[in-house]
Amino acid sequence: MPAADQRTSGARWTPFFFLLPFLFFLLLFWVIPLIGGVQMSLHANSLGQAEYVGFAHYKALANDERYFTALRNSFVYTLASVVVIVPLALWLAHLLRASFRRLRPVLAFALLLPALTPPAVLAVLFLMVFHGKNGLLNQLFVMPLGLEPVNWLKDPDFILSGLVLQTVWRWTGFMTFFILAGMEGIPRVYYEAARLATGSRWRQFWHVTLPQLRPVLLFVAAYLVVDGFSLFSGAFVLLGGSGGTADAGLLTVTYVFQKTRFFDYGSASAISVSLLPLMVLALWGCLFLRRRTA
Amino acid sequence: MSAKGKTQRGALSLLLIGPFLLAVLVPFLWMVLGVFKTNTEFFQPLAKAFFPAHYDWQNVSDLLNGKWVPFWNVFSNSLIVSLGQALGAVSLSATAGYAFARFTFRGKRLLFVLAVALILVPRQLFAVPLFSWVNALGLSDSLLGVMLPGVVTGLGVIYFTQVFRQVPVEYLQAARTCGATELRVFLTVLPLVWPALLSYGMIHFILAWHEHLIPMLVLTTETKQTLPLALAKLYDVSQRTPQGVQMAASTFAVIPTAVLFAVCHRKFKSSLSDMLVH
Repeated sequence: MPAADQRTSGARWTPFFFLLPFLFFLLLFWVIPLIGGVQMSLHANSLGQAEYVGFAHYKALANDERYFTALRNSFVYTLASVVVIVPLALWLAHLLRASFRRLRPVLAFALLLPALTPPAVLAVLFLMVFHGKNGLLNQLFVMPLGLEPVNWLKDPDFILSGLVLQTVWRWTGFMTFFILAGMEGIPRVYYEAARLATGSRWRQFWHVTLPQLRPVLLFVAAYLVVDGFSLFSGAFVLLGGSGGTADAGLLTVTYVFQKTRFFDYGSASAISVSLLPLMVLALWGCLFLRRRTA
Repeated sequence: MSAKGKTQRGALSLLLIGPFLLAVLVPFLWMVLGVFKTNTEFFQPLAKAFFPAHYDWQNVSDLLNGKWVPFWNVFSNSLIVSLGQALGAVSLSATAGYAFARFTFRGKRLLFVLAVALILVPRQLFAVPLFSWVNALGLSDSLLGVMLPGVVTGLGVIYFTQVFRQVPVEYLQAARTCGATELRVFLTVLPLVWPALLSYGMIHFILAWHEHLIPMLVLTTETKQTLPLALAKLYDVSQRTPQGVQMAASTFAVIPTAVLFAVCHRKFKSSLSDMLVH
C-alpha cells in the first residue's frame, strides 16, 4: 500500500462516503450471517428458538468420521487441482504465444469455453466422458491400453480423480487466458535484455517470464483454492448430492448440504465455522506471499 | 528469428494445442448434436452414433413451450439476477476500491484485510445462516433475496483498488483544482477505467449465472427459479425428461455467457494485461 498521502482535499469522512455502500452490504450479507452461523452452531438442531448446547456439535464433529473424510477429500481435491492446472495453463499459454497471432484469440476462447458453462451442465457433459463402458475415457484410453474399463463414478478409487479431472477440464483454459494476458503485459525490453545475457529460451522463461507472472500465478492459485472449497454444483449433479460409493467423493460443501437437507442446521454450521481457522491460515499465507512479491 | 522458423514454431505449438482443443470442443459438439437425438441414439457408443439420424427440432420446441419447466420464466429470472448482481457488485466494488486506492484513513488496513478475507470464505459455507437471515428480511422466494447477497465481493474490491491505483494522481488533482466535489472527481475518473468496469461486470455476471446453492435454498416457487435449478430438475432421472430436451436446455444455458465473453474478450484481456504485471 502506498504510504504517501494522495489526498489533497476533502473532509475526513470522504473515504467513508465511498466505502459506505460496500460496508453496508458487507455487514448485512456477510458479517451477520457469519455471526448467525456461529450462534447456530452453539444451539440444538433447528431454526428459530433453540436450546443452547454449547460446544456439543463441535465435540460430535471430532468423532465424526464423515467430517474428516469430507475435509480430507476437499483438501486433496483442491491441492490436486492447483498442482495440475497451474503448470498446464502456463504451458498452454506459452504454446498460444508461440502459435499464429491471428489464431490466438480464437484458440484462447475455445479453450476457456468450459469456464463459461454452468457447472451443472459441465457435470452432464462429463457424464459422457465417465459414463460406464461407453464413456470416452474408457473407449479411447483405458481399453486400448488393454486394461479393464474403469467404473469412474462408482469405483471409490476413482471418484475423486474424476472430480479433479472435471475441475481441470473446467478451469485450465480460463487460467491460460489469465496467464496469457499477464505474459502479454510483460515489457519487451525485459526479453531483449535477457537475450543479451542468454540465448536459452528456457532460462528466459525462468528468469523473466516466471518472476513477472508471480502476481498472476498467485491470483490463479487463490482462485482455485477458494473454488475448490466451495465446489458444489459439479459434485451435486455428478454424484446426485451423495458422497458417492464409500463417501469417496464427499466434499465439505456437499456434507454441509446433506446436513441441511435433514434440518441438521446446528451441526452444518459447526462444520462451516470449523473451517474458518483454515481460511485465516490461507489468508495469512496469501498476504505473506504478496509481501514477498512486492 | 527468421520468418520460416516462426512459422515452424507456430505449426508445432498448434499441433501440441490440438489434443486440448479436441478435449474441450468434442463434449460441446456432442451436447449440441444431442439436441436432435432420440434416447436410444443418445445412449449408443459414441463412435456408432455421434451424429443424429434426423435433425428434428421437436425437443427444442418442447423445451421453449414449457412442457418440462417454465423455461422462459427461468431464463429471464437468471438474466435479471445475474445482471442485477453484476451491476451491484461493480458499483459497490468500484467505489470501495476507489476509497482504498486514493485515500488514507484510520482502519484502512483492517478493512482491506477484511475484504481479502471475504474472498477466502466461500459464501456457500454460510448458506444456511444466510438463508435464514434472508428469510428474516422478508426476501425469501424472491429474486432480490438471491441478487442482493451476491453483490459483496472481495475479489471486486481488490481488483478495483489495483485499477484506481494506476490512474495518474495529476488527473485527480487537476479535477480538484477546478473545484470539483469529491463525487465529481470520482465520476470524471470513471470513463478512464471503463474497460475494467466492463471486465469485472462480465466476470461477476458469469459467476452469478452459475450460482446454484443459494438460489436452491431461497427460491421455492417454480416460476421464480433460476436456470441451474431448472437444469438440475431436468437432469433428475426420476423426471424422465428426454435426453434431447436436457441437451437443448444445456445449450441455452451456455449461450449467454459465451456470447458475452466473445463480445468483451478483447477489452477484458487488455485490461488484465495492464493490471496483472504492474
